[in-house]
Amino acid sequence: MTIEKSLVDGKLTLKVSGRLDTNTSPDLLAALKCDGATSVEFDFADLEYISSAGLRVLMAAQRSVMEGNGKVTIARPNEMVRGVLDMTGLSSVFEIV
Amino acid sequence: MRRLAIYLAAASLYAAMLAVTWSITSRQAWEKTQSQLDFSVRDLHNTLAGAIDTMLSHIASTAVRHVGTAHFIPMDHMKEIAKELDIDELCIISREGIVISSNDPHSIDVDMTSIPVLEEFMALTNGTTTTVSQPFRPHANNPQVRSKYLGAPFPGGDGYVQVGLYEGTLQKMLPAVLGSIFDEWLLGNTGFFLCADRTTGKLFSNPSRHRNEAKTLAEAGYDVSTASEREFLADGKATGVTFVQTLFGEKCFCRAFLFAGHRFVAALPKREFFGTRTMLVSVLSVLLFGVLAAFTLSLDRIFRDSDRLKKFYAAEDERRAKDMEIAKTIQDSALPRPLPDSPCFRIEAAMQTAREVGGDFYDYFPLDATHLAFLVADVSGKGITAALYMMTAKTLIKNKLLAVRDPAAALTEANEELCANNPASMFLTAWVGVLDLESGIVTFANAGHNPPVMISGSQPAEYVRKMSGPLLAFLDDAKYAAQTVKLGIGDALFLYTDGVTEAMDEKGELFGEQRTLDALNAVETPDAHALCGVVRSVVAAFSEGLQQADDMTVLAVRYLRPPTVYSRAFPPTQEGIAAASRFLDDVLGKSAWREARVTGLGSTLHVILDEACSNIVKHSGATDFTLDIEIMDSPSGVRITFSDNGTAYDPLAHLDPDTTLPASERAIGGLGILMIKKMASSVQYHRSRSRNFLVVERTEQT
Repeated sequence: MTIEKSLVDGKLTLKVSGRLDTNTSPDLLAALKCDGATSVEFDFADLEYISSAGLRVLMAAQRSVMEGNGKVTIARPNEMVRGVLDMTGLSSVFEIV
Repeated sequence: MRRLAIYLAAASLYAAMLAVTWSITSRQAWEKTQSQLDFSVRDLHNTLAGAIDTMLSHIASTAVRHVGTAHFIPMDHMKEIAKELDIDELCIISREGIVISSNDPHSIDVDMTSIPVLEEFMALTNGTTTTVSQPFRPHANNPQVRSKYLGAPFPGGDGYVQVGLYEGTLQKMLPAVLGSIFDEWLLGNTGFFLCADRTTGKLFSNPSRHRNEAKTLAEAGYDVSTASEREFLADGKATGVTFVQTLFGEKCFCRAFLFAGHRFVAALPKREFFGTRTMLVSVLSVLLFGVLAAFTLSLDRIFRDSDRLKKFYAAEDERRAKDMEIAKTIQDSALPRPLPDSPCFRIEAAMQTAREVGGDFYDYFPLDATHLAFLVADVSGKGITAALYMMTAKTLIKNKLLAVRDPAAALTEANEELCANNPASMFLTAWVGVLDLESGIVTFANAGHNPPVMISGSQPAEYVRKMSGPLLAFLDDAKYAAQTVKLGIGDALFLYTDGVTEAMDEKGELFGEQRTLDALNAVETPDAHALCGVVRSVVAAFSEGLQQADDMTVLAVRYLRPPTVYSRAFPPTQEGIAAASRFLDDVLGKSAWREARVTGLGSTLHVILDEACSNIVKHSGATDFTLDIEIMDSPSGVRITFSDNGTAYDPLAHLDPDTTLPASERAIGGLGILMIKKMASSVQYHRSRSRNFLVVERTEQT
């Protein structure tokens, strides 16, 4: 898994490629720590799949931005990732674009 | 028993040889004794006769001188002269042979020429003859009396004087005549003569060495009753009969003669000649005993050695048989046991050992879940050495294969070690292959072994002839090259040793490669069991009833399909989960056959794996967990069985988390199981043998 990180006007964008699972999710969690970010967008265009460990990172991001009324956006998930979000009820929690 | 016979034979031989020697030397001693006695008695005879003749000659000469010429002398005067000369008869005979004077009236006028016995005296008248002597004979007028006559001529042969001596008269004269000549007279070296008065037995001579020991013959030990005596000088030739007497305490061979009222005894002690015999036989007996004893002992030893040798060879045979048994056991024990049936391949091998166990061996073992190693080899030589070397080689090749996995590298390394430690200078041929169950490709290396046969369902069987490396244990820097041959689904490879191609029929013809091909071609389905079976039975029929010289080994491996189940154990760590994930990638990406059955499932399976493994690692307390990944054909899909040895836990027994709650109200745990349930076609849990099993299936239809 690789992460491309960018912060523009308080919006943290994390482009995640590869697999987000129990082994890689700690890296993503670490990448979330960013001063001045009020909202987070996960770009999952190149994400193969996500496991519950990855979902936990998404939820952790949600919690951290909720304090500042920010929001978490999930961009361009593939069918597989979308399915996971759907089946776990998380597609209603995050804004999916 | 045989020893007794040997010693008896030796003893008999010894006795026989001594007896023969004894007999020969006895005869020689007897003959020498006889001839010595003969000679001595003749000598005695001549001496005695000579002495008497000398005495009578002297008397006759004296008479001739006294009378002067042949003329008549009155009888009384003649008697006086005879008395004076101490002679019994005295005659004067004229040149014409007429007795003209005599002291015996019967002799007067006797014509000497008319009496044959006396005619020889007429030689005295020829003027040259000086003496005519006759032996003792019975007297013409009184046969009781034995008399001897001697004549001496008057000068010019003008008549002669004849003197006659009676034995009785000689008896009185004898001691004087013989004097003491007997005393110093030796008979041979140790013999002697005795002379004694016939009636009194008084010895008048004694051999010097026994002087004063005896006065009479009887005292000397002579026993008349056992003596064999005869009259002496009867014909002047007979020397008498030998008999045995003990004289002066010594056993003697004797001859005795009666003469002139005396006994003459010639005695030759037995030891004179028989002593040599005794000594010879004694020496010979000792020598012979030594030689025979030595010979017998060595013969006995030879026999015993030969017994020992026989025993040794018998033991050796037994040992060899045992060796062969051991070699067979080693060989048999070295053979791998059948592998459990695999859906991917079938392997079958058989070895028929020759009477003298050769060094054939074969082996097969999985290198890992998807690689099967198999090999056939033939060690030069036979017996226990070959068997042991075979063990070494087999272990070495197997270890190398397990370590490096590549047949060529394994053979190259094994060869170095085999060369480095090859005291018996053995070598071997080997054909080693590794079948990749995923692809059906056999990577192989050949060390001088017979080429195997490729049997595919559609094509005729053919030899896989490719470059071979040198024999193993032959060149220490030999390098083996890896080569490949691809087995399609259902194809088989047949390996064998030269026991097959070099099997002989009764005409000495070899079974050969063509017959091997023909036999393999006759099999409809190239099933491993059928391939081995057909070659063995055809070879058996070919060489029916003949003891084959070499081991015969066959091995067939048939490729059925790529493997469908992959199993691996992982440590219960984060890294273990990562490894499990890679394992899944690995399995899924292995073959086209498989890829066709798992298309689009990869990510889903990865998520399932991640959830299940995370649960195990985080919550079960297991020390290991394993994954069985099975590719299913119908319906196509994948079944993954997660198993761990942690505490019993059925994840399916728990309530699913409420996914409708806002994210802020969610419990983070429990999502994983939910996801597995939703993503899987079916999920089952069971616990057995203290392990948790979670079986997740995902098929295309879901």
